[in-house]
Amino acid sequence: MTNYKYKAIPGLALLFLFSCEKEININVPPSKEEIVVEASINQMFASLNYVIISKTVDYFKPDLSMNGFGGAKVYITEGVINGSDTVFDSANRQQFIDLLDSILPGIYVNPFFMGKAAKPYLLEIELKDGRKVNGKTFIPTPAVFDSLHFWFEQSGKDTNAFFYLQWMDGPEQNNYRMAIWNNIDSNLTGWGIADRFYTFDDQLLNNQKRPFQSFNPYKYGDTLNIYLSQIGRKEFIFWDSFRNAANNGGPFATPVAVKSNINGAIGSFTGYGIAFKQLILR
Amino acid sequence: MIYMPKSPEFIKEYRLLFYTIFVLFYLIFSSNTSWAQNSFTLSGYIKDSTTGETLIGATIRVKDAANGAATNVYGFFSLTLPQGNYELICSYLGYQSKTIKLVLTKNTSINLGLAPQGIKSKEVVITGEREDKNVRSTEMGRIELSGEKIKSLPVIFGEPDVLKAITLLPGIKSGGEASTGFYVRGGGPDQNLILMDEAVVYNPSHLFGFLSVFNSDAVKNIDIIKGGMPANYGGRLSSILNVNMREGNNQNFNYGGGIGLISSRLTAEGPLQKGKSSFLISGRRTYIDVLAKPFLPDRIKGNSYYFYDLNLKANFILGDKDRLFVSGYFGRDILDFQSPINKGVNFNFGWGNSTATLRWNHLFNSRLFCNTSVIFNRYDLFNDFTFGSGGFSVRSSLEDWNLKSDFSWFVSENHVVKFGLNYTFHTFQPGILSGSVGSTNIAQTITKQYAHEFAVYLMDEWKINRRWAVNYGLRAVAFNLVGPYTQLIYDNDTQTPTGNSKSWSTGESIAFYPRLEPRFSANYLINAESSIKASYTQTYQFLHLATSSGAQFPIDLWVPSSRLIKPQLAFQYALGYFRNFKQNSYESSAEIYYKPMLNQIEFKPGANLFFNQNLENEMVFGNGLSYGLELFIKKKSGRLNGWFGYTWSKTTRQFDELNDGKVYFYRYDRTHDMSLLLSYTINKKWSANFVFVYGTGNATTLPDSRYAYRFGYDAKEQEPKLTFIDKYSAVNSFRLPAYHRADISFSYLHKKTEKWESSWNFSIYNIYNRANPYFIYFFADTETMTVKAFMVYLFPIVPSVMWNFKF
Repeated sequence: MTNYKYKAIPGLALLFLFSCEKEININVPPSKEEIVVEASINQMFASLNYVIISKTVDYFKPDLSMNGFGGAKVYITEGVINGSDTVFDSANRQQFIDLLDSILPGIYVNPFFMGKAAKPYLLEIELKDGRKVNGKTFIPTPAVFDSLHFWFEQSGKDTNAFFYLQWMDGPEQNNYRMAIWNNIDSNLTGWGIADRFYTFDDQLLNNQKRPFQSFNPYKYGDTLNIYLSQIGRKEFIFWDSFRNAANNGGPFATPVAVKSNINGAIGSFTGYGIAFKQLILR
Repeated sequence: MIYMPKSPEFIKEYRLLFYTIFVLFYLIFSSNTSWAQNSFTLSGYIKDSTTGETLIGATIRVKDAANGAATNVYGFFSLTLPQGNYELICSYLGYQSKTIKLVLTKNTSINLGLAPQGIKSKEVVITGEREDKNVRSTEMGRIELSGEKIKSLPVIFGEPDVLKAITLLPGIKSGGEASTGFYVRGGGPDQNLILMDEAVVYNPSHLFGFLSVFNSDAVKNIDIIKGGMPANYGGRLSSILNVNMREGNNQNFNYGGGIGLISSRLTAEGPLQKGKSSFLISGRRTYIDVLAKPFLPDRIKGNSYYFYDLNLKANFILGDKDRLFVSGYFGRDILDFQSPINKGVNFNFGWGNSTATLRWNHLFNSRLFCNTSVIFNRYDLFNDFTFGSGGFSVRSSLEDWNLKSDFSWFVSENHVVKFGLNYTFHTFQPGILSGSVGSTNIAQTITKQYAHEFAVYLMDEWKINRRWAVNYGLRAVAFNLVGPYTQLIYDNDTQTPTGNSKSWSTGESIAFYPRLEPRFSANYLINAESSIKASYTQTYQFLHLATSSGAQFPIDLWVPSSRLIKPQLAFQYALGYFRNFKQNSYESSAEIYYKPMLNQIEFKPGANLFFNQNLENEMVFGNGLSYGLELFIKKKSGRLNGWFGYTWSKTTRQFDELNDGKVYFYRYDRTHDMSLLLSYTINKKWSANFVFVYGTGNATTLPDSRYAYRFGYDAKEQEPKLTFIDKYSAVNSFRLPAYHRADISFSYLHKKTEKWESSWNFSIYNIYNRANPYFIYFFADTETMTVKAFMVYLFPIVPSVMWNFKF
């Protein structure tokens, strides 16, 4: 079953003691189509290096597919930092291919590509109709785990499990995106397969041990794959606004504009400096 | 160094101040009647004869003549008349009018007591005369409501509410069923100055906006000024809401209260020294937590929510010339949450207002009245979060110390000059975070800010002749944001600290805004029953509420004007026709207004407002415009009384950084807004109230497109896993369905003796069960592959009951 996370409806319990709801019809005028790019590279997992190109659709269009663009030319180039200059040599350019074009168009991968920590990257896209998109990112140096422990609490018939994780936030670690996948012993196939996401920076706690505690419980016996990633500031701003947009809803919702870091499209080109830990809760 | 604008307008403004003072004094001292040798002054207080409470806005006037005066907020009046014999009528709505005969040969002081209707009094002559203030005064857009009227209105859960009651008036729009915020002539909720016994109430709501902080048992009356603001008021762009607390009975001890569905009230009042001093203590508390606790499962027994209010007041008559008032308010909301699934995870959240007011009335002579007040108010919140490996605590507050002095100089029969000064010292503490997680300690403070706000004003209420009257004045205001303060410099692109900062020492000016606010209103009396009025008001606002939502929340912060955040400015032009009918028992008015607003503040879409050291970076600045027509008709007395109000209006905003710079409708733009209130006395025991309200639906922003993002491939299910993100285009281009509902209430006077009175109030809210829109959400139906829209509505038909008692 496809799990479409669409709208959370936060609010006060009291409101919902009294509130009711009914379906209504809304007429929204047709929108202007825009290109959407989701590009991810990292230094650790090949399955998390990909570029996805899709488009916006009218809000009430009866279509919940990805609406990918096939047939585009997609390149990622590793660069070199020389003082204040960043140089991208076309000799280092690697093409990403739309391997699943006939099944799921718009997903571009390169099984031989692997990012490197502390390196800049350039993304270049040219669609079949000639439209061009580009963006830059940087894979930061990953954090180093310091300690990890877990405990159990009985809740009725269930045994809940919680964990506490600590790492060192150094001068090179500033912006974090954490994804946790509670599943069998395998790696993510696209970030979206993870169960929980967190974005946070180090403005409150800087250059010291950084703690993280899970509040929503897991179950006894769960296997957690914890991906603690370092990302750049613009990428962080994108994913933080994305988190707000994805959880926006309810009576106090306000429109959230996702803050893209690429030119010519909505979306992000994110370089992840991943630190990975697997935790078996038993 | 002082940062000051150096524009020619600044110099011009101060030239205007000088000219205004000169013209005012010239007019007063050159007036023929001002210094007539054979004029004398009649002055004193008008009170409720049974309780000793002063009556605000009671009138005293010469029979068959236009000369008259009204009591001020302390119940004081002063009326200067030529020497002679007079028959004077003293009246107040809901009270028996009284006629007194007087030979005025010298300055005379007199205290008058009026008996409430229904109380037998031998000395009273019922005249049948009614006040004609609606037609004769220069005031526009000013409406008063008594505490008793507010208590008689139909309400949800049996809780009478001041802020819900005022939204039944034209030009004042409700923020919705779950909001005590109100919107006056196109302004935001933070553009209303809410005063309780002169103390500012920064957050007037309990229960996340469902109810206001004003306990109706402690409220004597409310007075809202939504336009034509005289120079003695300022500080906000849109309105001033004065909530005056009762003083307490200085004749007898009384106890009263009410038991409702969600809260109860208890009030005690009485003389400290009979006829000379009195006290009032009134408390209110919700008991949802207490009632629900026995029925909750053990795992969530620790969860609770409650609020309480405590109003205290004492007043002392120190002699013929001096009175002292001490009043205070303490209210708090407390939410305790214990996680049912995660032991040791607790969340405690509390917020509330505290105010204290010390007022001293002094009568220099029968023509010069002065009130001096020292006021303290504080709004604060705490947020404690504890869990197994540590905890956090967040504190924030806003605190004011205020000194003000207001003088009323009853110069002559034709001139009342008011002047005064007002100084406030603001302390803003946006946030202190402390705590620990594991072995890591956390301590962060958002830098405190300090500001001085100063105002002086001078105004003259001038009756030029039988037909013309004007009220003109000038308010000079200044706001000075001062150190100590350290501003962290942020990088605009990355929104991270650059490591640089700029500091100001204690008392050093960071941003200084001196401004002038001219005020003018005029009344042309067409005949005894009709008049035309016009007004011009210019107002500045130096404090701004940081909220990105339409609703007001406890965590919303007030922020001061700074180098980047310029003071908000509004100009309001109004013109009205006022007409009374049938010996003033009907009042009606038609007013048009035009109100441009500059330096309005909004937040960027998705702005982070919580614990943000760089909050200014999240703001955008623009302009607003509101204009409209307000119609109002009121029947003041009789077995059937009430009012009907209708407003046609348009309110827009324009921000360069929002909506592609195009003009858009303000969220609370409401083309049509109407309210009908009918009160009917069925017999001595039963009375009924009926309310109907209608308003065009709020403007709202809806997404026009969407896209799939955060791709993942679920190998087990062999399908992609996607998150859909909404994309918005035009701001507030969609209208929610219209809001309308009807409520009815019945009051039954169960028993009334000299020593005991009890009554029941039965209310039905939303009698025809209208589904009024609260918000819209969308749901992706994966079975049909469609997106559906759902409208959530809050209150269906809700009956409630409250029992009130007094002994």
